[in-house]
Amino acid sequence: MNAFRAWIEERLGLGAVTGFLERKEVPRHGHSFLYYTGSSILLFLGIQIATGVLLAFYYRPTLAEANASVARIATEIPLGWLVRSVHSWSATLMIAMVLVHLLGISFTKAYRKPREATWLTGILLLGVSLAFGFTGYLLPWDELSLAATKVGTDLPRAMPIVGTWLTRLMRAGDDVTGDTLSRFFIAHVSVLPLAILALLGAHLFLVQRHGMSVPLAEEKKGVKGPVLPFWPNFAYREAGVWLILLGTLLTMAVVFAPGLGSQADLMAPAPEGIKPEWYFLFMFQTLKLFPAKVLGLDGELVAVLVMAVGMGLFALLPFIDTRPAERKGRIITALVWAGLAYALGMSIWSLL
Amino acid sequence: MKLPYSIFPRRLFLNGLLGGGLAALGAAFIGPLLKFVIPPTREPDQVSLPLADFADMAAGTVRNFAWGNKPGFLKRTGAGDYVAFVGVCTHLDCNVAFLPGEKRFYCACHQGWYDEDGINIAGPPPAPLRRLAVGAEGDQLIVKKAA
Repeated sequence: MNAFRAWIEERLGLGAVTGFLERKEVPRHGHSFLYYTGSSILLFLGIQIATGVLLAFYYRPTLAEANASVARIATEIPLGWLVRSVHSWSATLMIAMVLVHLLGISFTKAYRKPREATWLTGILLLGVSLAFGFTGYLLPWDELSLAATKVGTDLPRAMPIVGTWLTRLMRAGDDVTGDTLSRFFIAHVSVLPLAILALLGAHLFLVQRHGMSVPLAEEKKGVKGPVLPFWPNFAYREAGVWLILLGTLLTMAVVFAPGLGSQADLMAPAPEGIKPEWYFLFMFQTLKLFPAKVLGLDGELVAVLVMAVGMGLFALLPFIDTRPAERKGRIITALVWAGLAYALGMSIWSLL
Repeated sequence: MKLPYSIFPRRLFLNGLLGGGLAALGAAFIGPLLKFVIPPTREPDQVSLPLADFADMAAGTVRNFAWGNKPGFLKRTGAGDYVAFVGVCTHLDCNVAFLPGEKRFYCACHQGWYDEDGINIAGPPPAPLRRLAVGAEGDQLIVKKAA
């Protein structure tokens, strides 16, 4: 065995990597649970890739066949309903975990110097994850997904200068058609996967380069707090978390399998009660509430601009909050709470 | 005269030439690429409908027709003329429905309302439904883009 290892080591030279993992330490403190959110996202991403490949064995991205092929996966293909359900639920849990990860980092101010680039790659990963959700939502090609996609792709049109062009780029023309479906499919199964893997590589590299961030409150307590060796102690704990998450995922997927509406009809009126995926609900409700005119300006334009500016400021948080690490940053904490309360409130309102 | 050192070394010149050339070549691809990714619009200039299919409409009623790949609504006025609308909400592009009981157009996406003349009266829609011009030629109704 040792001879085999030596043979491999001579040819691959992995000693640098394994040596790093052997020495890697994970701090232990009251907020340690946040360290598990990253690997939980990885778990769900892996499940998305595996189940996504399986679904693509049978899915057909054309106007005539898309809805029927999803129905076939859900009714005829052995265990097809389960694969589809796991893909759908794993997407939801992945986004939820991404949001927890993001909020944890905002509250503990882990984005501060020198981790600005880590934050930026994280924001891009969030964008790619949401784009996965948005493009995937159209693929079953039922009435709800068509209406939601029409609204979602019309939103950029309100933006000045590039708006109309962006809408036409997303839709492949002025309207949502079969070309839109092809475009969303190839984005969902090829463009976005390549993007997420590249960004993830950069993100993970930066996380290892800087080491785990320790919250300010914990840093103040002592010179150096207790740590846990990454291998094997922390990795084993992560495995335990993964098992719990897998169990949760499978239970939800089996008990609450997603439905499928009737095939989308480009001529039919929008169905009653259209809703986007839950993580877009707050935007949906905001759009519904904005009147047609705000101070003489187009209400849609104002709504889109306000949301775009808010998200832009959040993305640039490490460059706005440039205060030294020993400051608590109570204003940022309050703003993040306010944003969270707004998103939660609007989402719940839209469900009433 | 030979300078002891070069203020513009050969390496810098070559880097600029090759790098600049590559950058220009890349930039030259952007335009065609942007053209390729958006296909031409397929909205029709006009559609013709058999008059016989719409002649029996009572005043104030509305019937559907296909305006390219969008829904269209043809309404008969009290005077017996025809008026046509593109049945797409001016807020965020959802297809609207005509509710005959209330004589209104309704968009289910964000609860937008238009009266029977397509004028936006409630909810988020910022503008009236798009109007189309209707004319008759022989046994055909010709629906055209409004001038």
